[in-house]
Amino acid sequence: MDQNLEQIKQKYLNKISSINSFPELEQIRVEILGRNGEINKLFSEIKNAANPREYGQQLNQLKTELETALSSKNILKSEKISEKLTNSIFSLPKIGHLHPITQTERQLNAVFKKLGFSIYNSPEIVTDEFNFERLNVPKDHPARDMQDSIYIKEPEYLLRTQTSTIESYLLQAQSKNLPIRAAFPGSVFRNEKVNRSNHFVFHQYQAVVVDKGITMKDLIGTMDLMFKTLYGPNVVVRYRCKYYPEVEPGVGPDMQCFNCHGVGCPLCKYAGWIEMGGSGMIHPKVLEKAGIDPKVWSGFAFGMGLDRWTMAQKNIKDIRTLMGGNLAYKPNL
Amino acid sequence: MKIILSHLQKFLPDLKVDPAKLRDDITMIGHFTNFFEEIDGEIVFDLDIKVNRGDCLGYYGLARDLSVFYNLPLKNLSQENNSSSNYQLPIKITTDNVKRVMATKLSDLKNTQSPDWLKTFIKLHGNSSINTIVDLTNYIMFMYGIPNHAFDTAKSGDNLIWEMNSKYQEFISLDGSKLNLNKNILMINSPTKALSLSFWGGEACAIETNSTDIIVEMAVYNPTTVRQNSHQLKSVTEAGTRLEKELDPELIPTAFNHLIDLILENCNGQISSQIFDYYPKPISLPQIKFDFQKPSLTSGIDIPTDFSLDCLTRLGCEINNNIVIPPSIRPDITMDDDLVEEVVRFYGYQKIPTNQPITPKNIPDITPKEIYLIDSLKDKLINLGYDEVLTWPLVSTPVDKNSVITTQNSINTESIYLRQSLIPSLQQQLDQYTRFKLTNSQFFEIGKIFFQEGDKYIEQNALGIYCPDANKSISDLKQLNLNANIVDQNFAEIILDNLEKPDTYTPKVLNQSAYELTSQLIILDANITLDNQEDPLNLIKKYSDVIGPQILWEMVITDIYHDQKTGKYRYTFRVSYFNTDDKTAKEKHLSAFSLK
Repeated sequence: MDQNLEQIKQKYLNKISSINSFPELEQIRVEILGRNGEINKLFSEIKNAANPREYGQQLNQLKTELETALSSKNILKSEKISEKLTNSIFSLPKIGHLHPITQTERQLNAVFKKLGFSIYNSPEIVTDEFNFERLNVPKDHPARDMQDSIYIKEPEYLLRTQTSTIESYLLQAQSKNLPIRAAFPGSVFRNEKVNRSNHFVFHQYQAVVVDKGITMKDLIGTMDLMFKTLYGPNVVVRYRCKYYPEVEPGVGPDMQCFNCHGVGCPLCKYAGWIEMGGSGMIHPKVLEKAGIDPKVWSGFAFGMGLDRWTMAQKNIKDIRTLMGGNLAYKPNL
Repeated sequence: MKIILSHLQKFLPDLKVDPAKLRDDITMIGHFTNFFEEIDGEIVFDLDIKVNRGDCLGYYGLARDLSVFYNLPLKNLSQENNSSSNYQLPIKITTDNVKRVMATKLSDLKNTQSPDWLKTFIKLHGNSSINTIVDLTNYIMFMYGIPNHAFDTAKSGDNLIWEMNSKYQEFISLDGSKLNLNKNILMINSPTKALSLSFWGGEACAIETNSTDIIVEMAVYNPTTVRQNSHQLKSVTEAGTRLEKELDPELIPTAFNHLIDLILENCNGQISSQIFDYYPKPISLPQIKFDFQKPSLTSGIDIPTDFSLDCLTRLGCEINNNIVIPPSIRPDITMDDDLVEEVVRFYGYQKIPTNQPITPKNIPDITPKEIYLIDSLKDKLINLGYDEVLTWPLVSTPVDKNSVITTQNSINTESIYLRQSLIPSLQQQLDQYTRFKLTNSQFFEIGKIFFQEGDKYIEQNALGIYCPDANKSISDLKQLNLNANIVDQNFAEIILDNLEKPDTYTPKVLNQSAYELTSQLIILDANITLDNQEDPLNLIKKYSDVIGPQILWEMVITDIYHDQKTGKYRYTFRVSYFNTDDKTAKEKHLSAFSLK
């Protein structure tokens, strides 16, 4: 807070704390909050401040704090004629809330646990090998352009750009303990400017299966179950050919736009469909790099972003709200 | 990439499909098509071409896919050009980054403004028409996906040299941009002038309407070199976007001949040199052993072998028993799984059922125990009335400069450090809540904190907690059996890694509300006087119902007084409103508490 405002605050907080009678309370209240009081005087000077917006915010904060301090002396209003029955503040029971991203993650985890999946995680600072090389993205591969990385120590250490990186760690750790069924929510990082639509950190959800005889039918059926869990039984999803270096064949799920029902609108960029993530049969090279024989074992992997879905569900317009922003919870609901 | 239907139909004259169906079909076989629209009497599609399909950065590659999908014949638009000239162009290639170059000299041309059809084509691809020769070089690049250049020989001379730059400091591109060069740049130069980059023509030899003698060349390079050059020079061009992919050197004669045909057809003139063709290492195609059952085994549905055979044949594969040789235009096909994808995408992903998820199976649980600990702590904390928040893992100020991990290239220059504690971020969250007049929140975050020790990067799971009532937070932490690092009474932080972890835990699945606050809460007080003492919680419920959840954030009773003279009871309510303006909140407030 501005030094001058801080001094004013302290001055009045001291005065308020020494109030002993109702007339005194009224006198100080008028001095602070009255039409010609200190606060209104300060507001009239807002235009002269170096940063009026910041000054205004600080002034509002000062006003709130002084009002709160004054209200603590309300007991004096009823001196002699009233008896305060309690010092308690009554409210409905306070309810704690999970973050909407956690809610979504748990909803999906519960579905996958029923199918025999474990939940997995791995470090967020990763090597190029686990983030790219093991996923069939060698250096200078054009697919690296799809993911602008944040480096800790270029070119070796970076913040993971995708939950497929967790898959790299998982396959390596479990290559001798097959089959594998694991799902993993995780935060991932991209070198994006933070604004209303983009963030450098966001959340993805991925599931991986390695077993004998796994097929695209297993993949598409399982993914469809996931979408129905999130969007309800009537959701329309199409599965089409799509390229990702770590899978072959690749599968792209598109959800029919919930806004225009496939007709085309600004939300879906007039495609009628919204791309929902990526998936496919795990590329034999990815299995080989983990020490898994692709002639014996096959598998699928799919991933999707959680932020857009969560924002749509909670009517959140600004992606910054999800992370340290103005996301709030009603205390009793 | 834009695709104009009428020009696609030049390769596929029998393509007669409703544009909406064509859009969906192109998407289903792997090229996501955002939309189509009619512009200047043409149907134009907008496609996302994936990085492994450089061939589809030209109409020809896409037409090949569609000819397989619709079983339509593909028309060859090119004819071989025979030169009667004995003149051999004095071209030198001094770098092995060149895979193939074809070039020839054309003379006595009459270059003019482009014909209308060409101007429209160029415009619909987002470029400006320059003149007929330049526009035709671009036309052929879009049609076949292979870039090419034309040099005005009055400016360049005939002695073109493909070389890695060794002497030029600066290059001026066709649009006048000045680029600073280093020694790793692949260029086409004359003995005395920097003429062109591999992916961007130069001003020094630009074709103008008075150009009469030109050399046209079409080349394919080492894509990694082009990609690196493009990154080094921070320059993205249509040509560079294509040349950094694996392109087909075998397609050059077809595309090159088509270009020559079009230039001669539109600008007259003649071929005045022999056709130069540098192709030192013809590509060798992979021989893939293919099990024709594999498309069925991989997809999980029955795909007839006959279909696979027919599909791969139409795709241009050479098939001898179980050995499949893919066409040179498809360098992305290198193994049997690639062939499987080809078969399945043309058979139709939509034929794979969507209602058969993987069968449940008991597999040993490999969930790391800290996940169970985190889940159980979250549930305990929300039971105690705490809200979960998430904050930025990258922060602007380090807690300890000696151990902080700094990002090297974050474009968010104000947030370059990986956080070492959750507390500063929670303090910011509290400040944010205070700005919104949300003063009674108690919240927590569980997330990673990061340190560097020598060359090692260390990640720890931490719990940060804030409670406005310090006594409550201490008692809550005691109840959770957590020894916390207490910071200024209201904030506490606990490292979770060393805590005892449960063997298993089933977390609660909840669907709770959350709100994006866009303005301060509006806080109003109200006193009501009642004849009899009443249960305050019942009163809160009663008035909450009157106000309604759309605008009511919270209601509390802050005071209850008994007036000894009248015997009446006075209740003071403090009501927080959201999602509304001051005037509406006040009106609702006065009305709800019958204050007007």
